[in-house]
Amino acid sequence: MGRKPVDLHYSSEVPSRSKSRRPALISSLAVLLVLALSGCSAASLPRLGLPAPATKEGHISVALWQGAWIAALAVGALVWGLIIWAIIFHRRRGDHIPAQTKYNVPIEVLYTVIPFLIVAVLFFFTARDETKLTAISSNSSAVHIIHVNGMRWSWQFTYEDLPPSTTVTGTPDQPPTLYLPLNEKVRFVITTSDVNHSFWVPAFIMKMDAIAGRTNQFEVTPDKLGVYAGKCAELCGRDHSRMLFNVAVVPASDYEQRLAAMKGSAA
Amino acid sequence: MKFIWKMFAGVAVFYAIVAVVYYRLSHEIVGSAALTLSTGLAALIAFYFWYTSKRVGPQPQDNDEGEIHEGAGELGFFSPYSWWPLAVASTTIIVGLGLILGWWLTAIGAGLLVASIIGFTFEYSRPGVGPH
Amino acid sequence: MTTLAQPPVTSAGQPQREPRGRLIIKMLTTTDHKMIGYMYLVTTFIWFLIGGVLALLLRSELARPGLQFFSNDQYNQIFTMHGTIMLLMFATPLFVGFANVIMPLQIGAADVAFPRMNMLSYWLYLFGGIMAFSGFLTPGGAASFGWTAYAPLANSTYSPGLGGDLWVVGLAIGGIGTILGGVNFITTIVVMRAPGMTMFRMSIFTWNVLLTSILVLLAFPPLAAALLGLEADRRFGAHIFDPANGGAMLWQHLFWFFGHPEVYILALPFFGIATEILPVFSRKPIFGYKGLVAATISISALSVAVWAHHMFVTGAVLLPFFSFMTFLIGVPTGVKFFNWVGTIWRGSLSFETPMLWVMGFLVTFLFGGLTGIILASPPLDFQVSDTYFVVAHFHYVLFGTVVFTMFGGFYFWWPKMTGRMLNERLGKIHFWTLFIGFHLTFLVQHWLGAMGMPRRYADYLPNEGFTTLNTISTIGAFLLALSTMPFLWNVWITRKSPMVGVDDPWGYGASLEWATSCPPPRHNFTQIPRIRSERPAFDLHYPHLAAVGAHEDTDLVTPTAPAAGEIK
Repeated sequence: MGRKPVDLHYSSEVPSRSKSRRPALISSLAVLLVLALSGCSAASLPRLGLPAPATKEGHISVALWQGAWIAALAVGALVWGLIIWAIIFHRRRGDHIPAQTKYNVPIEVLYTVIPFLIVAVLFFFTARDETKLTAISSNSSAVHIIHVNGMRWSWQFTYEDLPPSTTVTGTPDQPPTLYLPLNEKVRFVITTSDVNHSFWVPAFIMKMDAIAGRTNQFEVTPDKLGVYAGKCAELCGRDHSRMLFNVAVVPASDYEQRLAAMKGSAA
Repeated sequence: MKFIWKMFAGVAVFYAIVAVVYYRLSHEIVGSAALTLSTGLAALIAFYFWYTSKRVGPQPQDNDEGEIHEGAGELGFFSPYSWWPLAVASTTIIVGLGLILGWWLTAIGAGLLVASIIGFTFEYSRPGVGPH
Repeated sequence: MTTLAQPPVTSAGQPQREPRGRLIIKMLTTTDHKMIGYMYLVTTFIWFLIGGVLALLLRSELARPGLQFFSNDQYNQIFTMHGTIMLLMFATPLFVGFANVIMPLQIGAADVAFPRMNMLSYWLYLFGGIMAFSGFLTPGGAASFGWTAYAPLANSTYSPGLGGDLWVVGLAIGGIGTILGGVNFITTIVVMRAPGMTMFRMSIFTWNVLLTSILVLLAFPPLAAALLGLEADRRFGAHIFDPANGGAMLWQHLFWFFGHPEVYILALPFFGIATEILPVFSRKPIFGYKGLVAATISISALSVAVWAHHMFVTGAVLLPFFSFMTFLIGVPTGVKFFNWVGTIWRGSLSFETPMLWVMGFLVTFLFGGLTGIILASPPLDFQVSDTYFVVAHFHYVLFGTVVFTMFGGFYFWWPKMTGRMLNERLGKIHFWTLFIGFHLTFLVQHWLGAMGMPRRYADYLPNEGFTTLNTISTIGAFLLALSTMPFLWNVWITRKSPMVGVDDPWGYGASLEWATSCPPPRHNFTQIPRIRSERPAFDLHYPHLAAVGAHEDTDLVTPTAPAAGEIK
């Protein structure tokens, strides 16, 4: 039961300092390359991947995302820094046994309390912003209400400003287009005819599920003209990845014309 | 064993608080039920360990100054090998397949399962077999 | 010191090989926790390879826009089974495997409390897993509703076919095995510790096994109930998960009440493995042992209270409650991190392969934990839920924890299990290839998800800007897959290496398994040293250091002879 010295290196010799640094160098170059390729558009870099928001509410989300990432990367830099410091500077040199430190109560208290404070701050901003994003205005205010119904495998849009017969129904081959007025509040009332789906417009920085047997709602105020991609974001069966739609944000006057045209063609 | 029952009791108390707070805030029934049942499970285990610790008293493994020789002697009966676990698992699968393929298979499987559970349980209790 | 029954040694110095037939009978009927543990380790590794092949199929399809290899439905089957296999047939049973092999040794027990039930758990796992996988052999294919099996998608209207039923019943049976395993481990730890092995002298791995087993008891029964309810709906005309009765939300609550503790069931034992390896290669004790235990208890308790953070976008859950609890659970996780850093700080670090793996775990899991904090915030989750951002997050935390420390545990405990060392050079090639492959695969997926790529999509359009990142990710996946080759080669070429012949080939092992032979005898110990700290093997081999004050450095170079007179 004694301890005989055992040669742990069955291969030629202990890797030298420079040899063991080489894989680290290669991997950090690889990471840099990946990051460079991934930040495809320089414009999206400050938003760390998020699309440019197309709604007033989207800006709230983007700001929270940026703040949260700054905090996260700061913590990450600290901890990665400590790990890498230890790897470099506390490597074995000689055969001594280091001080057998088992605990340090003040430090342990510190690294319990500080993370708690960090998450408390994050929670504060989170609670504030989620209240805004999930708020539903009172029925008396000026809101365009649009019923969004998911069904396998496309979407139906019914504008409350129009009679129900004007429902727009898409197919996987012909994704439907949803028209929204610029700078006017819109409420989506979300349902499904069959299984769960999820109504997602990445440019809104927002999605909400269509849950079978349930009605969900959220409101946005589009603030940027353009056509935006929409997708189903809850697995719903075979053609889940084909359940696409488009959102066209048009000036308010154009919106009125579009509605009139849809009403006319349906009549 | 003292620490263990206290730990489970602490867990039970924690879940009880969470269940109450969660229900008051959300009135959501599924989570509240699940948390309440979890409280019950933790409390049940805490009670059992409390009761057992009272019954068996202090144990050498909980003694800071415990010496290895205190645990000397027969440690218990360890089954050297057994075919019964394989039998119980195989018959369980038959019951499961029966749920899918038909009641006839479940019936056969259930009979075999009961037989194999009895075999498993009484493996070492038959006369002439086992430690006694 | 090991004076007992080793297998007879031939003149070539190799133990005699057992006749193959006898080995098979032994595997079918064994009650030895070590043998059962090895069976778990081998079986889970095979499932890991199968799940990995499925992943390669997924990544091949996604490398370029357009469906090149599979139909949409086949793709859905592949990711469903990839997730199911990795979580329930690889990672969860892997915990059971490591716990089986190591935990009784670490507490000085001769076996687990219920050896035959231990074996029963293994067979239930194996047969249940095969049953779920056998869906691929049916005409309708395997289950295709995601490992999350949301209602009503998973019912017989929308997912008819035997594959779904085989999945449900197979998982329910495997789940019973896991529950029985949890009972076994808790009982073993409570009643079968050696004298002097008090709760606060147990190794952290053993602590984590205990807490994980408690989580198993809390989490798996709701899963079993939900699965049996689903099967009742599918087969027997029940309406448990009927949307008209709120069934869609009922399923999600039940599933995630299981599903969230499940990911901590996956994480905690492997945190434990990392915590075992770090002190040995830093030549220092674990920093803040009691704090670590308290943090792990906190994580376990809180993990049952956060489940609906998987349901933020359903619009049906109390956002602030779950968000707060989820942020809160990040605090003890951070504490653990600092304890690990404190362990290596001012240590004497050497980077044999086990230590490399733990460094890889630390670096990787940190990032996964940070993205978890991002996801804990509903406003941010509203964008990235159900996207590749979540896929990236959970691969960073799960793969980063489970796979890295699995390999670390393999290299570390290989001599204990087999009596032989794995080759260091191949081990380093294995590590670096895997590390680079992993990050190449998953780092870019964060960006993809934030940009707008949903998860569980078989395809994407060429004009969406997803193509380059997907191609990079696929290249990484193949590199990751290739990294398994050096490991398999390593296992093969070292199968006849010389036996190490000592109890502790690494030199600075702390926990009790390093105070018995490599491999241990049938009932684990012929003698057990006196236990007076959480490092009984270290105290045995370095008795002078038990006397040295905690903060003194020492220049003592070689260990003195082990203290004699440890009586059983």
